[in-house]
Amino acid sequence: MKKLTKGDEHIRVKTKGNFHQTLAPMLFLLPNMIIFLLFIIIPLFQGLRMAFMDWGIFSVPEFIGLKNFGNLFKDDVFLITIKNTIVYSFFTVVLLTVVSLCLALMLSRNSMKGERVFRAIFYIPSLLSMIAVGIAWRFILGDEMGIINYVVRRLGGDGIPWLTNGNLAMMCVIVVSVWASSGYYMIMFISGLQAIPSDLYEAARIDGSSAWNTFWRITLPLLKSTVLVVLVLATIASFKAYELIVTMTKGGPGYATKFIVQQVYQVAFQEDRMGYASAMSIILMIIIGIFTLVQFRIAGKDGQYD
Amino acid sequence: MKRSLAVLFCIFALFSSLFAGGSKEAASGDVTLTVLWFNDANESDVFMDTMQDYLEANPNVKIDLQVIAFGDYEQKLKMMISGGNPPDVARLTTSHVPILASSLEPIDPYLEDPAATKAEFMPSMLAFALDKEGQMLAYPTEATANGMIVNLTAWENAGIDVRELSKTWTWDEWEEAVKQVIAANEGMKYGLAVDYTIHRFATLLYEFGGSFMNEDQTAFDMVKEENINAINYFKHLHDEGLVPESVWLGSENPTELFQAGLVACHIGGSWNINTYNTNVKDFEWTVVSTPKGEINSSVPGGKFIGAFKDGKHKEAAMDLMAWFSDKAHNEKYCLDTFNLSSRADAEIAYPTNSEEFAVFQHDLSVTPAFTAVEWGNAKVTQLSTFMVEQIVQVLLGNQTAEEACQAIQARAES
Amino acid sequence: MIKGKKFTNNVFLVILIILAVVSLFPVVWVALSSFKPQNELFSSPMTFFPKTWTLSNYASAISQGNFARYFLNTVFVACTSTVITVLINIMAGYALAKYYFRGRNVIFGLMIATLMVPLQVIMIPIFLQLKNLGMLNSLWGIIIPPAATPTGIFLARQYMVNLSNSMIESARIDGAKELRIFVRIILPLSQPIVATITIFSFMWRWNDYLWPLIVITDNDKMTMQQALANFVGQLQINWSNLLAMTTISIIPVLIVFFSFQKFFMSGITAGSVKG
Repeated sequence: MKKLTKGDEHIRVKTKGNFHQTLAPMLFLLPNMIIFLLFIIIPLFQGLRMAFMDWGIFSVPEFIGLKNFGNLFKDDVFLITIKNTIVYSFFTVVLLTVVSLCLALMLSRNSMKGERVFRAIFYIPSLLSMIAVGIAWRFILGDEMGIINYVVRRLGGDGIPWLTNGNLAMMCVIVVSVWASSGYYMIMFISGLQAIPSDLYEAARIDGSSAWNTFWRITLPLLKSTVLVVLVLATIASFKAYELIVTMTKGGPGYATKFIVQQVYQVAFQEDRMGYASAMSIILMIIIGIFTLVQFRIAGKDGQYD
Repeated sequence: MKRSLAVLFCIFALFSSLFAGGSKEAASGDVTLTVLWFNDANESDVFMDTMQDYLEANPNVKIDLQVIAFGDYEQKLKMMISGGNPPDVARLTTSHVPILASSLEPIDPYLEDPAATKAEFMPSMLAFALDKEGQMLAYPTEATANGMIVNLTAWENAGIDVRELSKTWTWDEWEEAVKQVIAANEGMKYGLAVDYTIHRFATLLYEFGGSFMNEDQTAFDMVKEENINAINYFKHLHDEGLVPESVWLGSENPTELFQAGLVACHIGGSWNINTYNTNVKDFEWTVVSTPKGEINSSVPGGKFIGAFKDGKHKEAAMDLMAWFSDKAHNEKYCLDTFNLSSRADAEIAYPTNSEEFAVFQHDLSVTPAFTAVEWGNAKVTQLSTFMVEQIVQVLLGNQTAEEACQAIQARAES
Repeated sequence: MIKGKKFTNNVFLVILIILAVVSLFPVVWVALSSFKPQNELFSSPMTFFPKTWTLSNYASAISQGNFARYFLNTVFVACTSTVITVLINIMAGYALAKYYFRGRNVIFGLMIATLMVPLQVIMIPIFLQLKNLGMLNSLWGIIIPPAATPTGIFLARQYMVNLSNSMIESARIDGAKELRIFVRIILPLSQPIVATITIFSFMWRWNDYLWPLIVITDNDKMTMQQALANFVGQLQINWSNLLAMTTISIIPVLIVFFSFQKFFMSGITAGSVKG
């Protein structure tokens, strides 16, 4: 890799100040940038301005400075939802990355019949809309009506309070989230694995390197950019988790599985405190931003994230 | 690859020719009324059905019915209003009316005799629809009542005539009896399931003599003995194992528990008649009066239709709403959607379950009038999730009922 | 060696079969339940297979509103949006991966940052913006705004970073124009990532709920997901219709997945990749 970084330097020097080399990428980027600007960035600033105001939906916004932010840190429920979201994200992201990477490794070897079918099977859960996923799992995990507890009781046990006990509910939400999106990230890993030239594996085999060693010495280093994609995307997605959790647990029991976005939604639309909700969203975006930045930094340390 | 992308592209090309063209301008004099609607069952179809003769009598009017999922209905409506683009007519719930009060067009100026029109509706339903000056903001359409639905077969198995007993029962008597029912039925595990909403909990609250607001309805007044008693009793039912924890703590659906024959009673409402009628085949069920606490009470609720100040065809919208709300059309609509009517003079012969409807109607008639005024207060709706969460904290043992009431009061005052 | 491989395959096969059963169980359960008559859904004791099979749930789900219209709308939106997404995301990914210009990292960071915005929170400003642009109640309003996906750009960029620079350079030395390099060299090498983004984009748009919620009110322009959500009412949920509609709505996405998944594996020629 070192050698190639030098090659990149070479291009960098050569293209500096070249009009075509600056204009061409801008034109390639233009359609995306226009859309982002019009439909996300401009509305975002219009919305987030409200974080400094006292605003209900049909009332005239009134500027109150940083008061919303001050109140946030006295708001116990908000602090609980932050804690919950971080716990949930941590476990979800770690499990998701490991599970989807394992699936991808097993299913991109081109040496087994049925690899395609398996890929489809693992991808199917991510095709369901989150509402359907939530419904399906409530039928499985429900205390009284759930399939698992039905079996447990038939075998003579007591029902397990999957969604009624706070810690178990959090665990279930994490497991279901992993179930729901591991196929999605598996596909990212599979397409990343395709970019690893097969002659490298060939060489490793001739050297007599074990499968374990090959994985650590060849596969993982070359897969680093995909790992980063998966980590970043999974982190962002898990911080924004909403529909699945609401359909499965409604945030309960108590506040046990209530996450930031659900609280934002409730405060904005039910309690009609749009300004306060905007302040919450700013905090949420800052937290996501920090985590993402850290991930890029760690990946970028060995100069390999790009 | 190229071929697959080409196929996608062809589909795209095909459709774009299909969809091009844009909206056609209406001929002058023609009015297209946009009606925003949400469905619990088949209400949108029944609405169009009911309005058929209106459309025939007014050939220049067309109805553009837009059905939005209830979960997002309020946001959508608020978005449209704040964008200056409200629909001409919208279906509303009891909580929408106070929240949207400032945007709803008062109906009184369009009426020949406002007092007479108002007198046609049940006082409790009308109370939801009035603004502070006493003007009507929306027409009440169907009414709902909270109440107790029982698994009749299970009660019979225990040798208890629940119809007779329920005429006079108190919560203590109910508790004693329901324990016998649980004992007498294999597979029945619980006495009562209460829907996970503050509106259904309010049934208990009112029964215990409580209320959200003070007596003259000017401010929140949560911290009082009756409210604390109601919450404590609800906790007591959980602690005794008479109410399944999985509903308020695990978001299991009480309707499903009842349908599965796991609970003897369900505090739901008149809308459940429709569901149970089609879904329950394994046992008999009926509706009985809720046990007496300090008083007997239901909780009124219902649906409305209203028009908006920024609407483009207000005259036509008012005309349509008046037509839809008259006796004949309201009766037809309520009959076909299997609901109670909001009109005082409605006489509906339901094809089935007339006994159950009668019980709900009776419960509603003994319900104190202030309940409707409370639910017409925007604050009660805005805090509904917060209140539920506070009660759950009591059930979890994280705080006392008094602390819950204080927290709700504090939030209401902030 | 051969023996070892066979053994590994068998171990993997067992693991995969177990995982596949776990993975499919809820989906199969949804699909089977959609064939149960309404009163059987919550009967106790419950059964995995329907006691009596019925198609009535499908019949009634399809007869609600204008099903054919919703279906066609969704197909149109998903296909069109996917074509646009693939094209502009690959372009952007290429620009960010293979050009070195000032502000490259800022632009990349900004694009990733748009992913962090919880759209639910800024629904009202988005609504007003669409209104100003005259895109309300038009299918283009749910095709164009979500077509620029940060995820797609991110995937494309990370993939293309691995492509060899020397090919691009030698093409430039030969005097090839930038667009020609993109079309003739980069696109053919990007098949796996094009396939991935196509599959994802189709799925995103097919299951999209938020944008249609903001943009569409007209019944004639509604999508499948909106129709699906309509089965959940204020007081009642129409489970059987919901399950039937969910089952139907999985099928098109599966078809797209199957038709594109073979391209994941298209061989990358040696030398086209750095390393």
